[in-house]
Amino acid sequence: MSAASEAIIYSKKICMLGTFGVGKTSLVRRFVHRLFDDTYLSTIGVQIYKKEIADLNSAKGRPLGVNLVIWDLANIESLTPATRTHFNGASAAIVVFDLTRPETFDLKQIHLRTFLEVNPGAQVIFVGNKTDLMAEGPDEKALVAIAGEYDAHHFLTSAKDGSNVDEMFQALAANVIS
Amino acid sequence: MTEATTIDQILKAQRLGFAVFDREHTLLDSNFKYSDFRQASDLARGKVGLWQVFPELIGYEQTIAELLAGARKPLVLEKLNQLDRTDRLQYYNLRVLALAGGTRSPARLLCLAEDVTEQTALEQEARQQRYEVQLLQSQLLNQSQFLSGALLGQSAKIQAVREFVGKVAQYNTSVLLQGESGTGKSLVARLIHRARHEGARPFVEINCAAIPETLLESELFGHEKGAFTNALASKKGLLEEADNGTLFLDEIGELPLSLQAKLLTFLETRRFRRVGSTREQSVDVRVVVATNKDLKKAIAAGEFREDLYYRINVVALTLPPIRELDDDIIQLAEHFISILQIDMKKAVHGLTAEAKRKLLSHSWPGNVRELRNIIERAMIFTTEPRITAAELWLPDTGVQDDQASDALHIPAGGLSLEELEKKYLIASLRQTGGNQSRSAELLAMSLDTFRYRLKKHGISIQAIH
Ligand SMILES: Nc1nc2c(ncn2[C@@H]2O[C@H](COP(=O)(O)OP(=O)(O)OP(=O)(O)O)[C@@H](O)[C@H]2O)c(=O)[nH]1
Ligand SMILES: [Mg+2]
Repeated sequence: MSAASEAIIYSKKICMLGTFGVGKTSLVRRFVHRLFDDTYLSTIGVQIYKKEIADLNSAKGRPLGVNLVIWDLANIESLTPATRTHFNGASAAIVVFDLTRPETFDLKQIHLRTFLEVNPGAQVIFVGNKTDLMAEGPDEKALVAIAGEYDAHHFLTSAKDGSNVDEMFQALAANVIS
Repeated sequence: MTEATTIDQILKAQRLGFAVFDREHTLLDSNFKYSDFRQASDLARGKVGLWQVFPELIGYEQTIAELLAGARKPLVLEKLNQLDRTDRLQYYNLRVLALAGGTRSPARLLCLAEDVTEQTALEQEARQQRYEVQLLQSQLLNQSQFLSGALLGQSAKIQAVREFVGKVAQYNTSVLLQGESGTGKSLVARLIHRARHEGARPFVEINCAAIPETLLESELFGHEKGAFTNALASKKGLLEEADNGTLFLDEIGELPLSLQAKLLTFLETRRFRRVGSTREQSVDVRVVVATNKDLKKAIAAGEFREDLYYRINVVALTLPPIRELDDDIIQLAEHFISILQIDMKKAVHGLTAEAKRKLLSHSWPGNVRELRNIIERAMIFTTEPRITAAELWLPDTGVQDDQASDALHIPAGGLSLEELEKKYLIASLRQTGGNQSRSAELLAMSLDTFRYRLKKHGISIQAIH
């Protein structure tokens, strides 16, 4: 095997799923570039980011790294063969909801089922984003219920103030290599 | 590699990038040094692999193996994004196909990147407009419904308010909110409601000073058909409307004595009767009351029942006036700017340092409401990306800026400030249909002050109506 194919072992493709404006791009940018922008630029197609996470503890207790290849997808208005192809070969999906917009908690719009058909056995985690806008404390109920249905982890994040963003990606990284 | 150089020429003209890899995924050739598709310098030295050049193909290992085996159609990834050298967003379609091998030349992999920026940018613009409007709409809805951001700040006093909200939310007891006019009592009442109930539970609000005494009882408790002359049908009261939710009684100090007794009975028994009914009913309602009056004084003056006071004073909170919130004023002001910016579709990004100092030196008699009004006015007039001190029109501070007072023109015949005040008092009453507390709000003064000034000028509300 060549050196190039060895790297594949540690590279994992992750897809960001969620309705428009929930903060998919903002979460990835916060995690990869430590940046946040209040202005909204809606994504078309997909923007791919890479970030290496070193020193994850493997099951054998040996340090291990993972190269996350994060697919920041656009809101999927209609599922076409082209959008299905984007899902191919992913190890996990991060499903993002906007805590301030209950209407974003709709899994049908997000095509999670199709994602799991294309990638059976992929990990899923659910994220309630924009906690900074919830002064009276975020309402976790809907998020917990959905995560429970999929037996998945959930996180409350803010791409704006950065809270829980690293934790969320770290936890995902640990999950996809275990 | 003759065919590649020919392709090279064609692709260069078409603004495409291409790269050829062998079966082991090692780069054989590319036109990257002619196009700005990928940084050629990264790829110049040594053996370069497919996954280094095209990380977007990670995850497609199986597909690529099948392609090389001649077992499938080309792979197409549409609308990939990248930033070009000038940091401009560029869209491209990536097509991966096998160049079939012969007996002596094994199959190779051709990756073609086609620039689709022009057509995709149009699609982006259309989407952007649609989404932006929808996003702003639901943000506004969120802000006006939950006003979550408005209890902002790091000062100990605001933190205490947030803690209070969190604690009382766990119980269904009545709550008394005290504080100067404009300190956000209604907001806190909503937050208490929201913290306890999720989903569609009713929050019903009534200002006891805004409704004539004769109507208030039936408004609150409802009435049966025929209970009084105009009672043509029976009607639910606000207490019933608020069943399973929260009833917020603002300006409780203005509740007439007779109704104070009826409210007390309800708070003690959770039961009440509609006007003109003999049937007792019960509802499950959390009652939050608020006042900017000193209720102890009202008790001494015989205007407020002592027993009711003790009943509602079990869980009480006094909201701090914003002049006591130090730097939080700036955060609040910036919060209003960000909301109003959406509302007015005007890009204003904050306050200049001098404007901040000016806000901090004002005494804010009208509290949050006054702050919001001042910011709103500045937002309307400003032509700068940041609101300047001159655009903040603060009355009575002594630090009035020259520009603002220059802008006022006094008629040659002179004017009487007394007359001017009277005119504004009357105008505010006209504007609010005679609602004294809303008029007081408009003029950023407490209800007491407002009434005092009405009296001073001899203005009668009846005469204005
Ligand atoms: N306050 C706050 N705003 C956020 C947060 N995350 C994102 N936003 C804002 O929400 C808007 C949308 O964010 P994006 O990251 O572009 O959303 P997206 O999910 O990538 O949207 P599409 O690409 O259209 O699907 C932007 O204006 C962001 O600044 C957050 O945690 N807090
Ligand atoms: Mg996006």
